[in-house]
Amino acid sequence: MTAPDDRESILSRVRGALAPLHERAPLPDYSTEIAVMRSLVAGRDLVELLGERMKRVNGLALTEVAALVAHLRAGGWLHGYCDPVLWPRLAPHFGAELKVETEFDRTRVDDYAFGITRAAGAIAESGTLILHDATTSRRLAALTPWVHVAVVERAQIFSDLPQAVAALGRDPNVIWCTGPSKTADVEGILIEGVHGPGQQIALVLG
Amino acid sequence: MRFQQFDQFAAELKADTRAAVYDGSKKGHEKRTKLLFDEYPDPNRLRHLAGEIKQHVIENLDTYLPAVEAKMKANGVQVHWAGTAEAANEAVLRIMRARGATKLVKAKTMVSEETELAAFLEKHGIEALETDLGEFIVQIDGDHPSHIVKPIIHKNRREIAQSFEREGLGAYNDDPATITQRARKFLRHKYLVADVGLTGANFVSAESGRMVLVTNEGNSRFCLAATKCHIAMIGIEKIVPRDYDLALFLNLLARSATAQELTVYTEFISGPKSPVQPDGPEVMHVIFVDNGRTEVLASTCREILRCIRCGACLNVCPVYRQASGHAYRSVYPGPVGAVLSPLLMGDKFPQKADLPKASSLCGACNEVCPVNIPIPDLLLRLRNRAKEENVPSPGTPPMGAWALLASQPLAWRASLLGGKLIDYVPTKLIPVPALQAWAAKRALPAWRGGEFRKWLKARRK
Amino acid sequence: MLNAERAPVTGKRVQLMATCLCDAFYDDVAAATVEVLEHLGVEVIFPEGQTCCGQPAFNGGDWVASRKVVRHTVKTFAGDEPVVVPSGSCAAMMFHGAVLEFENESDLPEVEALGRRTWELGDFIVNGLGVKTWPGKFAATVALHRACHTRGTGSIAAANLLLKSIVGVQVVEFGEVEQCCGFGGTFSVAFPNISTAMGALKLDHLRAAKPDILVSPDMSCMMHLTGLAAKEGQPIKAMHLAQVLRDALKAQ
Ligand code: SF4
Repeated sequence: MTAPDDRESILSRVRGALAPLHERAPLPDYSTEIAVMRSLVAGRDLVELLGERMKRVNGLALTEVAALVAHLRAGGWLHGYCDPVLWPRLAPHFGAELKVETEFDRTRVDDYAFGITRAAGAIAESGTLILHDATTSRRLAALTPWVHVAVVERAQIFSDLPQAVAALGRDPNVIWCTGPSKTADVEGILIEGVHGPGQQIALVLG
Repeated sequence: MRFQQFDQFAAELKADTRAAVYDGSKKGHEKRTKLLFDEYPDPNRLRHLAGEIKQHVIENLDTYLPAVEAKMKANGVQVHWAGTAEAANEAVLRIMRARGATKLVKAKTMVSEETELAAFLEKHGIEALETDLGEFIVQIDGDHPSHIVKPIIHKNRREIAQSFEREGLGAYNDDPATITQRARKFLRHKYLVADVGLTGANFVSAESGRMVLVTNEGNSRFCLAATKCHIAMIGIEKIVPRDYDLALFLNLLARSATAQELTVYTEFISGPKSPVQPDGPEVMHVIFVDNGRTEVLASTCREILRCIRCGACLNVCPVYRQASGHAYRSVYPGPVGAVLSPLLMGDKFPQKADLPKASSLCGACNEVCPVNIPIPDLLLRLRNRAKEENVPSPGTPPMGAWALLASQPLAWRASLLGGKLIDYVPTKLIPVPALQAWAAKRALPAWRGGEFRKWLKARRK
Repeated sequence: MLNAERAPVTGKRVQLMATCLCDAFYDDVAAATVEVLEHLGVEVIFPEGQTCCGQPAFNGGDWVASRKVVRHTVKTFAGDEPVVVPSGSCAAMMFHGAVLEFENESDLPEVEALGRRTWELGDFIVNGLGVKTWPGKFAATVALHRACHTRGTGSIAAANLLLKSIVGVQVVEFGEVEQCCGFGGTFSVAFPNISTAMGALKLDHLRAAKPDILVSPDMSCMMHLTGLAAKEGQPIKAMHLAQVLRDALKAQ
């Protein structure tokens, strides 16, 4: 279906440009270990490190559903969305004060103060949550509410970036979230919550 | 014209603007340096390695490009190729028209700045909205970005507040948090009614056909959560060989661009949404854009194609800090722009042949560049090209007579001993305008021509 | 930036490249260089035919003119002794710039060979001869300017080491050392506004650190900064590294 385009002319210009080179630069052989902050991650409990590193980027890691509920209450975030797969596990801890929907209505995005979805993993080194398209119930629910809570299983925390890259797998849309959405476009002043969540929370379970 | 247009521009820059650009760049540079050197024992090793990897890629684009294309197609992506800016814009328009689409939201992409996509689409009746906060402000102001990472580094909050008021986004309020919240409110409803989300790509892995996109604001995520069609415009040089290489590049990019360990959102996109996902694009198009890159590849400055658009060279550059991005009259300002912009002009190279001269060749750019581009060497090559093409260069003294003198020791010594060289051969060795330009603001040391040689002779006796 | 590892220094004889700035303005820097080298037991040869390293035309883009001068320089500095230059910039021209403009020339090997034996003075003393401390006395607080063309070489570390080892010398740090003084050769006259604004910033940082003397491994930066300060009516005192080393010896 692609219309006839410039493919051939571009590729032939590329070949022409490279033809005069006597030799081509080789791909260096290296270990990604050099890009790992090893002294930071070595020997650490990954849940603890994830919490520390998330804090550094103004994120928050919790290990109890009750603590999450208290946090939502304290912030006045009383209406939100939860992935239906997660809800049975979380519901017992949510009181009647919090209104939770398990269907996300895109015509009412502003109604949801929080969104709870599943993470496919986390990276302790960088304080990052990993979202996969196949296990995120709604892209919009993980993005549009002010508070995003990603539920991550303890066993799915990687220690560092290269490990997480190696585990990218076949999901078509993997998103690494490292702290809340932010900008420094106005006079270099850091403001959180631009288009995405102003609060990024990990709920580590299991 | 006695001096360079670029220098005039810098001299006439509003004090406010200069201060904003200067402070913004300086802060960016200092934070970056601290982060890199605190965390890595040898950050230079990382830079050199990344440079070697990218050099390998650009010297093997003839095999990498078809490989990426094949992978992408296998992943369900429709791949297009555009030789020029016009062809790239036309390709977007064609895709939009075929879908009957009228609204596009776009994330920040430098290629689309090159092709002036938003203006092109608007002209064809398509609403094309910038969603990166800085780019959004540039768009409503009809302005141009002046930095490749911080597009509105030249603006202060008062100017922005005035623009928001003018556009009906609320009464005047220059609090950055309020400005951001207003943009958030306004833009989220725009995403939700758009048909197409347009992005660039920071990297494309040849091994998997995966493209990687990094943003802090989350606007590209929103573009790809709210719309049903994703178009990615990608420069043909954006490839890295393997997924394996991404950890190195992501670490370097975030630190170099914004002094973060990792950008807030890193999206790895290999095709349309998952079948079980209700939100997001059902179709994905990639447009590979040349727009002058193959000419750069054929030139002696091909190293500039390693660039990962981090902006670190802008931040550290003393000339950029004084002159601001707009002095470069190009999409790419600063040291990277001084090399890339004239090259991307093709035959019209002379129009921007002054940019490579706007540098003291201090080398700070090379020292910070995460892919170790020898920018000063490239600037020198372009100066040489300008000379070979006889492009006039105001303020630069001619060197022919000097070379003659400096390759004839007798004449050289005569000119030293003959007293004040400045009085002697004013128009040749030190042409008057140059001398005047110096002397207007700087004293010259006393003339001591030949004194050392005399001293040495006496000592040797 | 060094292009290739330099040949290790064996003998105790060097050729001095005095540079055109010493020839025209800074005769005492060249003289100090001779005295400093001779103090180290090094025999200094001064090839009389020398003129300039070729950098002005190289930076101006006129490589035909520049190569002419470099060819002359290569001829003038024939031999295999190390070539010592009291300027990071002219030294870099020999081991980096000239190599770049001779890339496609048949006499590139000769140019490269000269580059491999060319040293900036401080770098030569510390990394060439292995001298790590400097005798004598020099009572002053100094600020060491990081001349741009010493990037990627051992020159600044060497100068720092030597200065700090001199009795009485106090080295003060100052802000934004990686920033250029604004000279840049023809840049200083073709872009005078930007050039002088850069210089003014450098002067601000320097003055804030209150050194008695600005020490530079390059005459060109010194010429720009002192010239600017003098024109402002607030002169600063600057010395070349060689002059400080020589004066320290005299106070022994
Ligand atoms: S040239 Fe280097 S430092 Fe400058 S933007 Fe490109 S990658 Fe960054």
